[in-house]
Amino acid sequence: MATTTAAVTLSSDLLSDSISVSASSTLMKAGTTADGLDMVDYGVIEIVTGDQFDLLDADNPASSPIAGVMANKANKVYIANHATDETYYVTIMIDAQNVGRLYAGDWMFIPWAAEDANADIEITSTTGTNKIEYALFHQGRTLNAS
Amino acid sequence: MATTTATITLSSTDLLSDELALTSTATLTTAGASTGLVGTSGLGRKKLASGHAQYVLFDGDAYANGAHKVYLKNTSTTAAEYFTIEINSEQMGKLYAGDWCLFPWEANADTNDIKIDPSADDMVLEYMLFIDE
Repeated sequence: MATTTAAVTLSSDLLSDSISVSASSTLMKAGTTADGLDMVDYGVIEIVTGDQFDLLDADNPASSPIAGVMANKANKVYIANHATDETYYVTIMIDAQNVGRLYAGDWMFIPWAAEDANADIEITSTTGTNKIEYALFHQGRTLNAS
Repeated sequence: MATTTATITLSSTDLLSDELALTSTATLTTAGASTGLVGTSGLGRKKLASGHAQYVLFDGDAYANGAHKVYLKNTSTTAAEYFTIEINSEQMGKLYAGDWCLFPWEANADTNDIKIDPSADDMVLEYMLFIDE
């Protein structure tokens, strides 16, 4: 099995006592400690303004390689915005429900259930072209027959 | 100005033929500016009451639109136990035992609540909200 770890450190001087939170987890398949996520899709793409795009498609079209295979599993998604203009951002949505704005220099790391065909991770740039790095860790899918 | 940073490291020596060693650091700032976030809920823990009831962790009505950031961690050590995370009643994903997540939250509508739903009784969630005031 593949062993992939995700670690985070949060540091801040917001409070009188300094904040220093660390966590690390091994990315496992759903409900097990014996088998790690062993598939990854990893890329960089420029998101232009104007349209909403499916960055990660839960099931589109129905013949998609990931159609249903990842549904309700322990998929993990990493997205980083490499824009350098602080006013630039992309809006992240899941099934048309707003999650948040990922500003220049920000990153996010979330579990993604891809619970149904509409549960796409959608991305929109409204401020300019944003270069987006993304990775999807999952436990497998089947390819379309050619 | 407060300075808050979030650093992620994704690493694996056997997922790919080449080693995966990704590190990214973000300084958490207000929307569209370089000013650091000045509000936080602090680090908290909640033990969810039995009954598997869905629980509103952060209420969209209580925060203005902004570049808030949410940190969650499932402290369970039982592999099959997870929290289902929802935003505005749409499922984001399942946070399994030991897993954590960090994501932006815009709180762009009164209904844009962050809800959690434990899969078992007496699960403990660790959480922190960084607030764009």
